[in-house]
Amino acid sequence: MHHPASAIARTACLCSALACGTAIGATADNDALDLQSAPAESSTTPNAKLVLEGAIGSARQRYNSSTTSLRRLSADLVYSTRIGSQGRFTFSDRIDSLHPATGDSTVNSLRELYAGWQDSSANWVLEAGRINLRQGPALGFNPTDFFRDGALRIATTVNPTLIREYRLGSAMLRAQRLWPEGSLSLAISPKLSDKPSESGWSPDWGATNNRTRALLSVGSQWSSQASSQLHAYADEHGDAQLGASVSMLQGEATVLYAEAAWGRDRRSAARALGASDRTRAARLAAGLTYTTASKLSLTAEFDHNGFAPDRARWDQWAATAPTLLGAYLMAADRQQDPAGRESLLVHAKQSDAFTRNLDLTAMLRMNLRDRSTLTWAELRYRLKSADVSLQWLRYGGKATGEYGVNPQKSAVQLVGTWYL
Amino acid sequence: MDPRGFVRRRLVLASPLPLLFAGIGSAYGQPDPAALLAASDAIRNPNRPFVVTVTLTEFQGGTQVESSVLVSYARTLEAGGQFMSLLRFQRPARDAGKVMLKRGADLWFYDPSTKASIRISPQQRLIGQAANGDVVTANYARDYTPTLAATEEVQDGERRKRKAHRLLLTARNDEATYASIELWVDVENQRPLKARYFADSGRLLKTAYYRRFQSQLGAERPTETVIIDGIDPQSVTLLRMSDYAGRDIPLTWFSKDYLPRFQPE
Repeated sequence: MHHPASAIARTACLCSALACGTAIGATADNDALDLQSAPAESSTTPNAKLVLEGAIGSARQRYNSSTTSLRRLSADLVYSTRIGSQGRFTFSDRIDSLHPATGDSTVNSLRELYAGWQDSSANWVLEAGRINLRQGPALGFNPTDFFRDGALRIATTVNPTLIREYRLGSAMLRAQRLWPEGSLSLAISPKLSDKPSESGWSPDWGATNNRTRALLSVGSQWSSQASSQLHAYADEHGDAQLGASVSMLQGEATVLYAEAAWGRDRRSAARALGASDRTRAARLAAGLTYTTASKLSLTAEFDHNGFAPDRARWDQWAATAPTLLGAYLMAADRQQDPAGRESLLVHAKQSDAFTRNLDLTAMLRMNLRDRSTLTWAELRYRLKSADVSLQWLRYGGKATGEYGVNPQKSAVQLVGTWYL
Repeated sequence: MDPRGFVRRRLVLASPLPLLFAGIGSAYGQPDPAALLAASDAIRNPNRPFVVTVTLTEFQGGTQVESSVLVSYARTLEAGGQFMSLLRFQRPARDAGKVMLKRGADLWFYDPSTKASIRISPQQRLIGQAANGDVVTANYARDYTPTLAATEEVQDGERRKRKAHRLLLTARNDEATYASIELWVDVENQRPLKARYFADSGRLLKTAYYRRFQSQLGAERPTETVIIDGIDPQSVTLLRMSDYAGRDIPLTWFSKDYLPRFQPE
């Protein structure tokens, strides 16, 4: 290891001898060349990844002046190993213990449990079991992510990235044919149960496999700047949708993306609650991510849910049936659909903000019709094997708005995460 | 594709013959910069699909602040010579299993936790340590136009004075990570000694010194690279390459749709 004192002495000597900028640069280079690397590591890939997390905080309520203390403990395990030269086994599970809780205070999420096989050239892949099959390039809303419905057992965050991480996979049989510029895949997900389970320790097949579904997907790489995916989705009740997504590189710093799905969905939250007769509509998300040289990444995204209730029905519910509005919001949340017709998401992340290893992330979601907002911010400091983060969120807007109606007004929590 | 034919062709390209010609020079007595660059590329990159473990040690003001380990799987596309790499993070535990795919300007990041393959921009990639992998394993001859700027004495990574050709590399396509590169190539053996990497604006992004040359996969290759940040020279990253191995890497590994299936032994 290089000794700082010797560096200072060497710098002083050189500067007195060579009074020019290049000398300073050469000194910096020489100091760097004196450094010694950490010992070379073996290339063993760990099979298991265990993450423990604890959170404490408090929440302010909207309809009274009280505050509620929040506590959470979570354990997250992913184990994946090869079976022979071409087989693979994956187990992924998460346990959350929450206070306060609306149902069971401890909820287990059996996210993945599957076996797979691929040929030696990686041209064919076959998988069977509970698989988290995720589609779509958008950040806040993924219309082409057809297996998102009901996949989140418990809400512990509003961070869209983590919501994807915590969700359940669906039991399915999946075959994929790959080639260098694309792939074709077919997933068939059978019905295993009628409805979701309330039990915290249930594998909850009813949440993800309450009907038989099939998804055919084609991925294409058009150039080094553009790629797309096409989907055809159907379920046993005759609902069927077509989907498409595209992502494109624009210049050195911008990625554009869009995804849309159109077709029949008689299980939409609005229709289930009698707010809409629409059985065919489109869902859409389009946005861009721009990154600056100063490590700031900015994402802006427009989301459209054609199945959401129109303004007249929303206002009618707000005035005469707030309970129905609440039920609709919960149903839309369970389906991971935006509750409003049009919404906006802005996400910003500054890496190494103010100091090294400190990341500042902020997110704003806005219902463009009622202007209600969800604002979330996180300050995260990365240690060697742990993160410490301070998170804050606020639901704003009028009481009949998508976010303003939330009984929780704001919350703050301190989270510790250990990577084992 | 016939892998044996591929290996044969690459072996011819990487044989000592072009290195000899590069050393002898062109008809006008000046060394051919393209041949020098190709010879230097052939020293940094084995001439067949390969895997190497990269240990990154980061220093700030002379103090070690972080270390990470990743495994690089790389190969050259037979048609067009595009260099492709797949970086899989092993350490720290926070990043274990994350994968970065690079096919020219086609960049993807895959996080096994979220099951998301996300297209990223070159600018996003430059933020992370993965971009330092380009300094070690990348094919400059395909993406940059070289000119010979000077033949001069330069200090190498072992702090010895060496006579070197200074090449100025200018990006010739959108797949080049940097706008331009200054590369010093040893006159005697075409080894890369030092490089300076510049952005579009002309800003110095990083300086690299190649050192600890050892016999790996049939050639003397640098097994350590010292990377000095262009803005903050106190920020230094050491890349140690170990466990070089030739390996038959299927082309489909470099497809973004394969990333969720990627699990090497």
